[in-house]
Amino acid sequence: MEPSELERFEAIVLPHLDAAYTLARYLTRNDHDAQDIVQDAYLRALKYFGGFRGQGSAGDGRAWLLAIVRNTAHTWRRRHRGDALTTEFDEKVHSDAVAEANPATVLDGDSARETLYQALDRLGPEFREVIVLRELEGLSYKEIGDVTGVPIGTVMSRLARARRRLQETLRNREEGE
Amino acid sequence: MTHRELELQLDAYVDGELAPEDARELEAHLSACGDCARLHEARVALSAAIREQVPALHAPDALRQRVRATLRDAAGTTRVRWGLPAVATRWLALAASLATVAVGGWRLGVSRADEDALAGQVLASHVRSLMPGHLTDVVSSDQHTVKPWFNGKLDFSPPVYDFAGRGFPLVGGRLDYVGGRPVAALVYGRRQHLINVFLWPATRGSVGGGPRVATQQGYHLLQWTSPEYAYWIVSDLGLAELRGFAQLLQQADSTVAGPAAARPLP
Repeated sequence: MEPSELERFEAIVLPHLDAAYTLARYLTRNDHDAQDIVQDAYLRALKYFGGFRGQGSAGDGRAWLLAIVRNTAHTWRRRHRGDALTTEFDEKVHSDAVAEANPATVLDGDSARETLYQALDRLGPEFREVIVLRELEGLSYKEIGDVTGVPIGTVMSRLARARRRLQETLRNREEGE
Repeated sequence: MTHRELELQLDAYVDGELAPEDARELEAHLSACGDCARLHEARVALSAAIREQVPALHAPDALRQRVRATLRDAAGTTRVRWGLPAVATRWLALAASLATVAVGGWRLGVSRADEDALAGQVLASHVRSLMPGHLTDVVSSDQHTVKPWFNGKLDFSPPVYDFAGRGFPLVGGRLDYVGGRPVAALVYGRRQHLINVFLWPATRGSVGGGPRVATQQGYHLLQWTSPEYAYWIVSDLGLAELRGFAQLLQQADSTVAGPAAARPLP
């Protein structure tokens, strides 16, 4: 690859590293695996960069990259199914990330956050990913459809179901206390 | 509009994805129906709670470096190209007729091939250190923790400095193996960048002058020899800043070594 081509790739795709890591991290719930997946996804992205330019949507490197991250994570999940199911939720690292993000909310936000994490954790991967793509990455329904490979109607119904389940879990939790 | 219909459209409405006429119809219903209005409020509150409590994350710096390194590796590597140090270039300009003058004073007994091999090892070690869990054996920003850690692990005690005040905080240290011998690797930070400093006792006569610079796979390598140590530093940091860091190291070394060297013999 020409050095200028690599620079182009880096300029378009590297700025979305945080987004890629966020998605991989919430899909795998494990820092180490998320890092491996992101690295793998970038290699794939480099390989298919020609095809991406062919679409002429140069402004949308993010959704394109996230689709690759998402597919890499799913391939990885199938390959390591046993590991994935037994991976412990990494509460400490998540908490640290939150503490950095907003120190003011740490004191009184702890239990609410924990409840939300557990509720998210209980969602199936196809529901968790639409929540992450919509709420954390801010993607449109169309983009979420492109990333996950389903029609917009399915995106809409998955989001509705995911949110309904989250609300039910949170409500049960409140009533249980 | 029935409750069932509203629930189907509510998320799209909250997400701003509903067609304008549908949105107007839904709003009319919300203003008339307390149950649905509460449902709507709950959805909005849930989205806000997720955004507040479940943050988007920052990729670790080590991952950033590792991805860059991997991409450059995959895109094809280039051979090490040594640039002439500025001092040598000036010297050559002044003494252009003296073609036999060595290019700087730095080739004392070390062949170009040896240098290239060392550069390759140093770079490989730098990239490997960026992989998760490989960066440091001892993690501390305290030079008085890092320096003694090497006791008993090396046959020399590497000088460890704290340049936090100058924007290069100490991250830690580790043992590494370069050029067929165990060496000290010290890690310093600069914003999101990491700098690996490799050093081991100099084997030959001291060599002055500015550091030599090489660039490979987007990394800069600087190499020089103080009276006591052979130094290699490598980073993806900009060359100017990396030179500044090398200067800090050289100054610190000369400050430490200076008075002792100047002390008259009894």
